[in-house]
Amino acid sequence: MNPIAQPLVQHGPVAPSVLSDSLQVEGLSKHFKGTEKSVFRDVSFSINEGQSVALIGANGAGKSTLLRCCVRLIEPDSGKVSLSGEDLSSKSGRALKKARNRVGFVFQKHCLVPRLSALTNVLHGNLAHCSGPRNWAQSFARQEDRQRALDCLEQVGLADFAYQRCDQLSGGQSQRVAIARALMQEPRILFADEPTASLDPQSGELVMDLFGRLSRSRNLTVFFVSHHVEHALHYADRILGLRSSELQLDSASHSESAASLREFYA
Amino acid sequence: MPEPSPIHPASSVLRDRFQRPSWLSSGLFALFLGFFLWSLAGAGMSLQSLIQGLPNMGTIVGEMFPPATDRAQPILEAILVTFQMALVGTVIGVILSIPMALLAARNTSPHPIVRYVTRSIISFVRTVPDLAWALFFVVSVGLGPFAGTLTIIVDTIGFCGRFFAEAFEEVDPGPSEALDSIGSRPLDRIAVVQIPGALPSMINTGLFSLEKAVRSSVVLGLVGAGGIGAELAVSMEMFRYDQAAFIIFAIFILVYIVEHFSSRLRERLLNQIR
Ligand SMILES: Nc1ncnc2c1ncn2[C@@H]1O[C@H](COP(=O)(O)OP(=O)(O)O)[C@@H](O)[C@H]1O
Ligand SMILES: [Mg+2]
Repeated sequence: MNPIAQPLVQHGPVAPSVLSDSLQVEGLSKHFKGTEKSVFRDVSFSINEGQSVALIGANGAGKSTLLRCCVRLIEPDSGKVSLSGEDLSSKSGRALKKARNRVGFVFQKHCLVPRLSALTNVLHGNLAHCSGPRNWAQSFARQEDRQRALDCLEQVGLADFAYQRCDQLSGGQSQRVAIARALMQEPRILFADEPTASLDPQSGELVMDLFGRLSRSRNLTVFFVSHHVEHALHYADRILGLRSSELQLDSASHSESAASLREFYA
Repeated sequence: MPEPSPIHPASSVLRDRFQRPSWLSSGLFALFLGFFLWSLAGAGMSLQSLIQGLPNMGTIVGEMFPPATDRAQPILEAILVTFQMALVGTVIGVILSIPMALLAARNTSPHPIVRYVTRSIISFVRTVPDLAWALFFVVSVGLGPFAGTLTIIVDTIGFCGRFFAEAFEEVDPGPSEALDSIGSRPLDRIAVVQIPGALPSMINTGLFSLEKAVRSSVVLGLVGAGGIGAELAVSMEMFRYDQAAFIIFAIFILVYIVEHFSSRLRERLLNQIR
């Protein structure tokens, strides 16, 4: 039996039912010093709450850079970014860190601490909200936090692996633990940068299924980069395409064909 | 069609068996040889003295057997103190090494200047020989095991500080960056990424440093810093070679036991951490 097929339980803060902007980007530009041309220029788009949006583009088109600029992990040259109506552009230091704590990030590599258990790694998501030994290891954690971490693992179908060391998990399982860690933050928005790139096709589908499910059941906004036309078409409500330093595509996924999208990977 | 030309035209010609070294290298070699011959005299090498000394060595070794057990109790007590100095010194040294190493490692140091200063302190501590530290502490805190323990602490910081820092630097930066991206604090990342990542290497280094401390604490007594070394010096000076033999045997047993248990413990701990 596929453990992921279990129904998902609703957790965390329930989103308001009105449609509101989750992420709003206006005129974002980035040019790395010492390189010839801009990675992207004057990119604008906004993503509604609960929407699932794919970002596609050729290798080196600037997808990862765009994703990171949205939360200023890379500093954009110009432009404005708001998260849930909160302007990030003017924030600095502590305030910026605080704004990031409701932003979940899943990378191409799972980035778990290999020697620690899955449960402890999930608990680390809580470090976004509170610092200190309580969130260093599951053995020091508050009972309710341990329970919540276990619930997050349950949602990615890995509750049985809670006490397994992460270096004993497969690539797909590790990526799902990384998603559970992001859920532990109770994020408003989940960014994912090619989360399936290092996985075999089957585990990749499982991970994408999970994103789709979370987006629906928790009304979670998901913004993911994909190198897979099929994933973008199948799992996103909407597709953005980056080419020649510009956002050249922004449309609902059902109105696009695989052939037209493939041009973005050329 | 022209014959294809060989890729390495000269390779078919045998070179001379020996090639004439350049004038510079011949000159340097001659200088080195001269210095070495001079050093033989400087190091007091003398076949004559060795031959003359042989009967003495024979007498001493002969007098060592059978080892004397008449002072067994104070000697065994001194052995215990030696081990206690090494243990306490290593544990405190390891504990102090962790913050030093965190300040000295590239990926955990708060500022390059802090890193440079701590690195320099650790290198300095390591370069000064342990007997020199022991003499320094004997003069400052007086004769006895406390001076020895302080020496071991300082020695351990010089050793563990460096290797812990290297272990922290080798930890995969991925998890730390991932936790940084969600707004966690540096201290939390040290606790959940760097320390667990470096732990196997730290256990290895710590146990090795205990073995090193035991060997080192044996000789610290020679300069009055407590432990079995003082007993050994006294026995030799009083020509009680049979007692000396007993002490050497006791030291051998101590070192052997510590090394044996340390390697057993190493295996067990490395398999258990999670
Ligand atoms: N830190 C950096 N400094 C300079 N150039 C960079 C840096 N990071 C990325 N780039 C360049 O920016 C471009 C976009 O990179 P990236 O966003 O990683 O592309 P993608 O994720 O779409 O493959 C590439 O040409 C890359 O070489
Ligand atoms: Mg990329």
